[in-house]
Amino acid sequence: MDQLKRTQLYDAHLKAGGTMVDFGGWEMPVQYPTGIIAEHLYTRQRCSIFDVSHMGRLVISGPDKEAFLQHVLSNNVEALEVNKAQYTIVPNEEGGALDDAYVYRFEEDRYTVVVNAANTDLVVDHFNKYISDFDVTMENISKEWAAIAIQGPESKNILQKILGEDVQITEPMRNELNTLTVPGLDDAELKVAKTGYTGEPIGYEVYIKSGYAEPLWDLLIEEGARPAGLGARDTTRLEAGMPLHGHELGKDKDGRKIPIFAVPLAKFAVSFSDRKKDYVGREKLKAQQEAFIRINNGDFSDCAALPKRIMPITLLGRGVMRAGCPVLVDGKEVGYVTSGTMVPYYASEGKGLETVITEEVKKRSIGFCYIDSRIVTDTRVQVDVRGKLLDAVIPKTHMKNDAPPYTRVIIYGEEETRQNERDTEKEKTSGTPGKRSALSLIKDTIDNTVWREKECINMIPSEMAASKAVRMLQIADPCLRYAEHRKVESFYNEEIFYYQGTGFISRVEEMLVDEMAKFLGCKEVETRVLSGQMSNTCVFSSLVDFKNRLNRKVEPRRLGYILNNHIIKGGHLSAQPMGALKDYVATDPVTEKKAVVNFPVCEEDPYRIDVAKTKEVIDEYRPELIIFGKSMVLYKEPVKEISDFIKAGGYDVNIMYDMAHVLGLIGDYFQKPFEDGADIVTGSTHKTFFGPQRGIVGVNWDKDDVKYELWETIQSRAFPGSTSNHHLGTQLALLMAAYEMNTFKDEYQKAVINNAKSFAKSLKEAGFTVAGDPALGFTQTHQVIVEVGYASGARVAQRLEDNDLICNYQATPYEEGFTASGALRLGVAEMTRYGFGEKEFAKTAELMAECVFNEKDVKEEVKKLREQFTTMRYCFDEDDVEGALGRLAGELGI
Amino acid sequence: MNFPNELKYSKSHEWVKMVDDDTALVGLTDYAQDALGDLVFVNLPEEGDSFEADEVFGDVESVKAVSDIIMPVNGTVAEVNEELLDSPEAINSDPYGSWLVKMEGVTGTGELLSAGEYEEFIKTCD
Repeated sequence: MDQLKRTQLYDAHLKAGGTMVDFGGWEMPVQYPTGIIAEHLYTRQRCSIFDVSHMGRLVISGPDKEAFLQHVLSNNVEALEVNKAQYTIVPNEEGGALDDAYVYRFEEDRYTVVVNAANTDLVVDHFNKYISDFDVTMENISKEWAAIAIQGPESKNILQKILGEDVQITEPMRNELNTLTVPGLDDAELKVAKTGYTGEPIGYEVYIKSGYAEPLWDLLIEEGARPAGLGARDTTRLEAGMPLHGHELGKDKDGRKIPIFAVPLAKFAVSFSDRKKDYVGREKLKAQQEAFIRINNGDFSDCAALPKRIMPITLLGRGVMRAGCPVLVDGKEVGYVTSGTMVPYYASEGKGLETVITEEVKKRSIGFCYIDSRIVTDTRVQVDVRGKLLDAVIPKTHMKNDAPPYTRVIIYGEEETRQNERDTEKEKTSGTPGKRSALSLIKDTIDNTVWREKECINMIPSEMAASKAVRMLQIADPCLRYAEHRKVESFYNEEIFYYQGTGFISRVEEMLVDEMAKFLGCKEVETRVLSGQMSNTCVFSSLVDFKNRLNRKVEPRRLGYILNNHIIKGGHLSAQPMGALKDYVATDPVTEKKAVVNFPVCEEDPYRIDVAKTKEVIDEYRPELIIFGKSMVLYKEPVKEISDFIKAGGYDVNIMYDMAHVLGLIGDYFQKPFEDGADIVTGSTHKTFFGPQRGIVGVNWDKDDVKYELWETIQSRAFPGSTSNHHLGTQLALLMAAYEMNTFKDEYQKAVINNAKSFAKSLKEAGFTVAGDPALGFTQTHQVIVEVGYASGARVAQRLEDNDLICNYQATPYEEGFTASGALRLGVAEMTRYGFGEKEFAKTAELMAECVFNEKDVKEEVKKLREQFTTMRYCFDEDDVEGALGRLAGELGI
Repeated sequence: MNFPNELKYSKSHEWVKMVDDDTALVGLTDYAQDALGDLVFVNLPEEGDSFEADEVFGDVESVKAVSDIIMPVNGTVAEVNEELLDSPEAINSDPYGSWLVKMEGVTGTGELLSAGEYEEFIKTCD
């Protein structure tokens, strides 16, 4: 037998006491002295490092690099921007997998394909079969570059210590790449990928020149990582539901090909883009996909292309299943186990965000099986383990990783158990509702109202308190009525109402439109939308309709490209493809992704849009819609700069500014959107504005503008497009709020912005890390963002709530999502309305610091401070107004 | 590695501890547990099962693989260490405290090795 190959880290493995084995011709550590279980658990709880230098790394460059990779890989390589990575499969002509692979694009001019160690030569030979048709070069760089996988919740912190605390390792999402240098190692180049094979939501694979491999390995260990071997690599990938070539991919135990679509991940790894032309295996894969779609729709009439598929499997009792064990249903063999073992996990306690992962170690017997495609999730099966039939089930998944920084073990049956517990709990408290229920509901409402309005310091920036007049009008008679209406051309565009008795509310709506137009600084306003999100949906729907108005005989085209703020950078769900944009945004045929591109942000301040780079993006993507506005917002949006650029460039694009958060700040102290060049402003009326919870759309086109037809479309998408009953009570109340705003905005807006800046300063002085530009007083809006430590946001926000300090946890631009939130988002608008000034916000900052840093109970002090500020400002509180409201109360019987 | 002198050993890496003239505890040696790695499951016979020496009487599973365990003596199972079914890792942490089965009517102990002989034997095993 040939001499086994060794990686750059061979000596490091011996030094660490690794048990070395032959793995596909490589001498690799299967485990270290702590053992596989400890290594698995350390990966899940802290951070493990795996030597993956044995994996083949092939660099493809040359003019035809994309065309070549489109031909020999299953995924769409043209979807890869620079600094992105992609999972892909190397298909053969039969639609089986020669291997699975990752493609990295660290540089504009080359792609790195990472394949399994044992398959490297096979893949190279396979690529060589096709390479002569393309003008490309393939280079195997596996010897020059070592590869280390750094996986687990602590991996980011550990890398941060090595690379420097201020360095952004990568963008927070998976499959992001970056090229950095290691200060402690002669500034050696380090290529970093946020990828991995353990399922860890926080994990990296890094590449460094071979000579630095061992020093880097040692540095990682010094900072708290521990080496883990192939054993833990297998158990973690199995738990995470990732296929392994030779087990779930390639050939089955009888030597027949496993169709690629038999593996659930194939859905993401196979593309049929026209850009891929007639790539290797395309036709076979297409037939598999068709069968895959049928099967997943419950149609098992033709499974010929996909007779079996890979599914997770869990033993319900004691035992361990191994690869090769037959799987049976009702005594009949339906397939076999492809991978199986016992994996350890830390048990969890508690529910929801308060779930705590304990130190208690449990084990479960899980695996993958390759079974008849007609067998669906939740089917009970049996596994023949050396003659003994063990009960098992096909679960949905073994683990989830969408609540970073930890992976979450999914125990079969637990969801049902918890649902049953909730049902039993509900049954205990429910009964026929009667007077007792009514009384208790009223009492609870009183308690809640007193708590939130008299005891709590409310700092959620999306919330606002309403004046007495606004509250009273909200429940006056119109709140129970209907007033559908629309402009009818036959009557020279008069508003025609569909119901009688609407005279009053029709006048109210007219006045509301006038007041809001005055406030927004525009010509036309739609007030019937019920929320900020509905405002946006209404506009998106109108844009699609407008785009297709001249040819309605074909399937309407959706919008694309759209330029918006990324959700991680503060963009709101109501302008995201997974939110309100979903049904209205096109898919880019080249990348097969939603036709959305994000505002680039400044490197030194990710809360700020980078105007220069945005202009480049506009030149490249030529968006048809630009959406400004965010829900984590510290600065004015550069509407004027971009609008001027667009006009100068002659681009045909609508600029929409979603001002949900900052609607009430429109004016001299913040921003005037239409003067800056916005075409459309949307927003909600209850964040910095004084109103009840509604939405608003404003535009500024003249009647002779071709876009005026878009405005008419917006009106018709409001009614009948979005609402039938547009909630007349709050519409009436919004008119009162608009009166208040137009009367008091000068003092109110000045106070809000001063308070935000002084609150930020006080928080900083109290010891908090405050985001934003200190030169601007950290904020130009009503919001202040304080960083409280990675993934600590939810815990800190709960601690503050326990002390009647109400705010919300927030993921910063560096974090992966809400469970990893490391910041608090604070707003000053509501407490400003109650009369809080610099002094009170300084005291609040002090109490927050006591509560967060010293874990002191400050509830009493919060109450004492709050009690002095229960009178609403910036509203009409004169005696005659009070008197009139008293009469209204009488008429309403309250 | 530790091989207590008062125990007897088999070439298939089990230890035997005589509790009286014909009753013995049987377990896995320190060498065996180390070679197997983290144990996650043990499969043991039922009380009353009889075995001849060299017969397979159960198996142990590590994360990596399954291995048969071989009966080092002749006899009948008097008791099974039920605790190991829930915590097989005890074999790794305390191989000589973690007996697998208690055998009665034990014969055929003549072939077993002393601690010293076993230690010599395992040098030839790697």
